[in-house]
Amino acid sequence: MISFKKVNKWYGELHVLNNINLEVAQGEVVVVCGPSGSGKSTLIRCINRLEPIQKGELVVDDMEVHDKKTNMTKIRAEIGFVFQSFNLYPHMTALGNVTIAPIKVRKIPKGEAEKLGRETLTRVGLGERIDNYPAQLSGGQQQRVAIARGLCMRPKIMLFDEPTSALDPEMINEVLDVMRDLAKEGMTMMVVTHEMGFAREVANRVVFMDDGQIIEVATPHDFFTNPQSDRGKNFLSSILTH
Amino acid sequence: MWSFYFNELIRSLPFFLKGLWMTVAVSGLSLIAGTIIGSIWGIMRSSRNKILRSIIGAWVDLIRGTPFLVQVFIIFFILPSAGIELEAFPAAVIALTNMGACFICEIVAGGIMAVPSGQREAATASGLSSFQQLRYIVLPQALRTILPPLVGQYVLIVKDSSVVSAIGVVDVTRVGWLTVQRIPEGLMVFGLVGLLYFAICYPLINLSNVLERRMTVVATKL
Amino acid sequence: MLEAFNFRVILEYMPLYLQCFSATLWLSALSLLGAIIVGTIACAMRLSQSRTISRIAGIYIESIRSTPLLAQLYFFYFGLPSLGVMLPEWVTGIIALTLNSGAYYAEIIRAGIQAIPYGQIEAGIASGLNYFQRMRYIILPQALGMTIRPMLGQAIVLVKDSSLLSLISIMELTRAGQLLTSDRFMPTEGFLTTAAFYLVIYYLLKGFSGWSEKRLIFREAH
Repeated sequence: MISFKKVNKWYGELHVLNNINLEVAQGEVVVVCGPSGSGKSTLIRCINRLEPIQKGELVVDDMEVHDKKTNMTKIRAEIGFVFQSFNLYPHMTALGNVTIAPIKVRKIPKGEAEKLGRETLTRVGLGERIDNYPAQLSGGQQQRVAIARGLCMRPKIMLFDEPTSALDPEMINEVLDVMRDLAKEGMTMMVVTHEMGFAREVANRVVFMDDGQIIEVATPHDFFTNPQSDRGKNFLSSILTH
Repeated sequence: MWSFYFNELIRSLPFFLKGLWMTVAVSGLSLIAGTIIGSIWGIMRSSRNKILRSIIGAWVDLIRGTPFLVQVFIIFFILPSAGIELEAFPAAVIALTNMGACFICEIVAGGIMAVPSGQREAATASGLSSFQQLRYIVLPQALRTILPPLVGQYVLIVKDSSVVSAIGVVDVTRVGWLTVQRIPEGLMVFGLVGLLYFAICYPLINLSNVLERRMTVVATKL
Repeated sequence: MLEAFNFRVILEYMPLYLQCFSATLWLSALSLLGAIIVGTIACAMRLSQSRTISRIAGIYIESIRSTPLLAQLYFFYFGLPSLGVMLPEWVTGIIALTLNSGAYYAEIIRAGIQAIPYGQIEAGIASGLNYFQRMRYIILPQALGMTIRPMLGQAIVLVKDSSLLSLISIMELTRAGQLLTSDRFMPTEGFLTTAAFYLVIYYLLKGFSGWSEKRLIFREAH
């Protein structure tokens, strides 16, 4: 589904992605973790070309993202992206937020799109909040609308960039619950997160990154109980001790 | 003597009202045209096309760096020698429209660039095209930032319209100038002129302030 | 139009232009100084505890902002003689420019002072600084940094506004252009040269604004 081959990216002098090789199969749930600045957010932002790569091959759903000539609209329609800061459109209701892309990009008629929007919002537990504006919703509710916004495009892949990092602790679980359900339904997911409990429960694999490189790839069980790398060991001990 | 002049002034009121109408006409036309043209320029100014940005930026800078009076003279006196015959009124509207458009361009571009980049990222990520992003996501939000200074710019357009009296357009200022030749009470005559401008500008300034307060409230709610 | 751009005429008139350039600079500089002084006083009055003093300053500022500079200029030019006050034109011009920009400076300074977060002053009080120390070390340095750009912006406006003085027969840059037009029927050479001189002043002031901002602006600590 997603394939990184020798991918490299620089921000000026800074080598933010260093020789990335990674394959994600359909239906897999991959959690990416690592210290600040390890390049994990950059990694998933490259998948739908929110950030371009300079070297290597990045193939998503058989389409070449690294090729500048590729029309990204088709690819982006198949990928749902959830941001750390939600990025909901403040001037639209929850229903408006989730239906704008299906209507304008997938060209679904408005009535059908709204029906789909209502179903998806109900699925994430916000059936009562369809006509509310983002300002009227809590952080956890806003993030769930953001997830619904991605789901309404009926994507093949869902990407999450630290979806719970900006939430107050009591709201983290409502978002993780939605993500857990998605995983159980077989969605292909890549999640950048610090939520290790989530990773342990739901991920097929954990990718540990540091300094722009993939240091370790293992099953959650293996990584959390017996990390192979020193940096992996350090990272785990630093996040598990508070 | 003073009361004689005062009576003469009252008798001249119709003349002043005609001048007021001229001021409204010149400002109004320029305001509408300037908003349309300025908005288009503003959208171009905030695009990713560097060439487009620079060309518009250079023109805006030229207009902002020279006095409006000089621009009016240039349009009125120089264009005819390039073959475009102009009367005072059209020249005035062209000059005022052009100047208004330049300032409105900067206001619109500023509003567009003030929309958080996360909004554009979310729109890009869901596959919306640049045009769709502008139309459905960016412009509706930019409007909040744009409206108060836009109304402020309208006030400036009305005030700057007084300058076109220099090429003979018979607006309120010109009426005052003509009147003071026969009623040599400058304080009274231009006091009246001031009052007439005040009647238009003061409400507009207040509108701009009210809009600014309302928009700020909405923004903090977000 | 440009096929016969007559550089020789411009060279011939260059001494006049340089004289007028210098006149524009002097008129602007004196008015600028006056405006800053008037603005500071008006701002202090506006922020005063006394409702009457504040209201007087308010009327002054609102009257200036709601009326065009040209009307104000004519008000003094035609009005003062009717009071028996006979002044050379350039003095009248400076008075009009000073009072006009003074009102805008009053608002700029007010905005600068009111923009300083109260928490800063509280911190100053909490650490035992008295009123003058807070003024000197906390309030004024920050106000200066924040207002430098709008103050220079208003200075640019003032220089452009000085072009209106040509309409009351003062010999400055715009009048030079008018002379070339009336004497030699060469508005193109005349006004484009005038515009060029103004652009020189504009870019110098803009450059100065950028340079001083880098030296004086303090970025808020996050």
